[in-house]
Amino acid sequence: MKAVCWMGKSKIETLKVPDPVILNPHDAILRVTRTAICGSDLHLFDGFIPTMEQGDILGHEFMGIVEDVGRDVKNLKPGDRVVVPFTIACGQCEFCHKGLWSACDNTNPNAHLMETAYGYSGSGLFGYSHMMGGYAGGQAQYVRVPFANIGPLKIESDLPDEKVLFLTDIFPTGYMAAENAQIAEGDAVAVWGCGPVGQFAIASAFMLGAGRVIAVDRIPERLELARSLGAITVDYTEQDVSVLQAMRDLTGGMGPDSCIDAVGLEAHSNQLQGVYDKVKTMLMLETDRPIVLRQAIQAVRKGGTLSVPGVYGGLLDKVPFGAAFGKGITMKMGQTHMHKYMKPLLERIEKGQIDPSYIISHRITLEEAPHMYEVWRDKKEKVTKIVIDPWAEKAA
Amino acid sequence: MAEILRKDARTALHEKPGAEQSESRTLGANVVEDGRYMPPPTDEDGKQWVRTSVLIKGEPRDLYGLWHNVEDAPLWQEQIASVTRTGEKTSHWTMQSATGTLEWDSEIMADEPGHRISWRSIGGDSENAGEVVFEAAPGGRGTYVTVLQEFRMGKLASGFETLTGRNPKQAVIENLRQFKALAETGEIPRTHGQPHGPRGAAGTVKSAAYAENVAQPPGLERMAS
Ligand SMILES: NC(=O)c1ccc[n+]([C@@H]2O[C@H](COP(=O)([O-])OP(=O)(O)OC[C@H]3O[C@@H](n4cnc5c(N)ncnc54)[C@H](O)[C@@H]3O)[C@@H](O)[C@H]2O)c1
Ligand SMILES: [Zn+2]
Ligand SMILES: [Zn+2]
Repeated sequence: MKAVCWMGKSKIETLKVPDPVILNPHDAILRVTRTAICGSDLHLFDGFIPTMEQGDILGHEFMGIVEDVGRDVKNLKPGDRVVVPFTIACGQCEFCHKGLWSACDNTNPNAHLMETAYGYSGSGLFGYSHMMGGYAGGQAQYVRVPFANIGPLKIESDLPDEKVLFLTDIFPTGYMAAENAQIAEGDAVAVWGCGPVGQFAIASAFMLGAGRVIAVDRIPERLELARSLGAITVDYTEQDVSVLQAMRDLTGGMGPDSCIDAVGLEAHSNQLQGVYDKVKTMLMLETDRPIVLRQAIQAVRKGGTLSVPGVYGGLLDKVPFGAAFGKGITMKMGQTHMHKYMKPLLERIEKGQIDPSYIISHRITLEEAPHMYEVWRDKKEKVTKIVIDPWAEKAA
Repeated sequence: MAEILRKDARTALHEKPGAEQSESRTLGANVVEDGRYMPPPTDEDGKQWVRTSVLIKGEPRDLYGLWHNVEDAPLWQEQIASVTRTGEKTSHWTMQSATGTLEWDSEIMADEPGHRISWRSIGGDSENAGEVVFEAAPGGRGTYVTVLQEFRMGKLASGFETLTGRNPKQAVIENLRQFKALAETGEIPRTHGQPHGPRGAAGTVKSAAYAENVAQPPGLERMAS
């Protein structure tokens, strides 16, 4: 089959590799019908996430048709159409029982690597480094899905793939970000980052009762999408704009009730602080660039909530923890507990409350993926979300 | 309430709705004794120790049973090729790695059904002794399974590492992790055998660094379609 492979930092190739086979009783094999490139994939592309290995198949956002199932998969049969959560969960351990699916104990064969770095290991993820399990990803024509008895969500309606595909990650991720923001009816919520995760965080904040949503980014088409959802946008690169001032101005001087960091460790900055983080990460004195995190901690109101769906990987410098303590804020974060959100969010799509496909800007083939990783990184060509049809041939 | 407090303990806390209802507990390989945490023994005189614990959703009795079935150990213990019973309390173990074979005999020293098993090797390429304790976790959350393993290997210990690609202490930790996965889910998470692109020059170094060169035990059944 054809698959998108990580061949080194900033080096992605579409290659011929063997087809996946069933290895365990709860496995399924899917014929992938749609897959997407995620903001998280950029952290791999840019070499921010350790324990990648040349030849790793990328991709954690995908859906497809069941081709084959292992002996103990009773809920699926060949021909079923499913969306697959990017986190792999067993459904049986203490964490799965608690609904903390992305903390599952039994799905990371390389748990020892994460234990060394984090104390304890989270669940395995598709196509996201050996520390997170070393599972082959879904930017490919076929993919093996472990614990297919627990994860995949069957799509029984005739909704097109594009409308349900983002249940694989970014819609639940945006939704959990809004839920973690502990929004009360009428609250002011600020969202940094208007990429796909930010978009769904904005939409979900409104669904959960936000009275005002403030969206921060610098990319015009993304800010426009945010406004189309009803958010007030702030372009942080515009002359004379101070994000902190904007937050005060837009909340009667109080600060947002909740702040959502939908940017993560590769935040961009054209200011001195950005240079500081760039130099420090280059010297390996810091692994992440917590520019947005710092801003959000400063901006949030006293006793407010900070929700962090944006990914951080390692050690952060100059995080104003004193401000967090001084204001008595709550912080919630982490990989999305996918399995908890997929079904209820599918219902919202089926009821017509939201059509997640609105963010798609590019539809491509597997061969075009390596180039599109660059476009996606550089936010060129008005890119807002890239969807791959692994079976499409390049249009001449 | 008073009867659950340790007899000589003075306390200002008169209500502990979630606290354990026992007077004093001796946990798996002595994690707690008389209310005090007991650290694992430290390495000395060529002896190495490792103690590791997991919470497993399941009854102590059933987990004891799974462990007691030594002939099934190859299903969940790394690189154990076979275990054969040689007597009521003895068994013969064969460990197979990419580079060689280790063999030894083992004898059960203590056996408390549903609670505890201890063993020691009685000759062969590995000198080890160990104990596993199964104890109901507080709050009805399942079973704490704690393994304490001792290696009297001296030079053999590093030989073991060279031979198996795995630090012997880490092997004990991985085996208990895999025991839990098998007990809770019926399988052990597996990535060996999945597709990938060319690994390049650094491939073998990396797979050794991630310990991915250690064969993953099969679980109940590998090919199950
Ligand atoms: N928690 C999870 O489970 C989970 C799941 C998916 C994605 N993520 C993470 O969410 C983050 C966003 O993902 P995405 O797919 O939307 O990525 P993306 O790269 O498309 O979006 C990031 C956006 O942040 C903007 N940005 C950069 N610096 C900024 C700054 N200083 N202030 C304001 N905006 C800034 C960029 O212009 C961009 O539009 C990533 O870190 C990704 O890894 C987390
Ligand atoms: Zn993603
Ligand atoms: Zn689990």
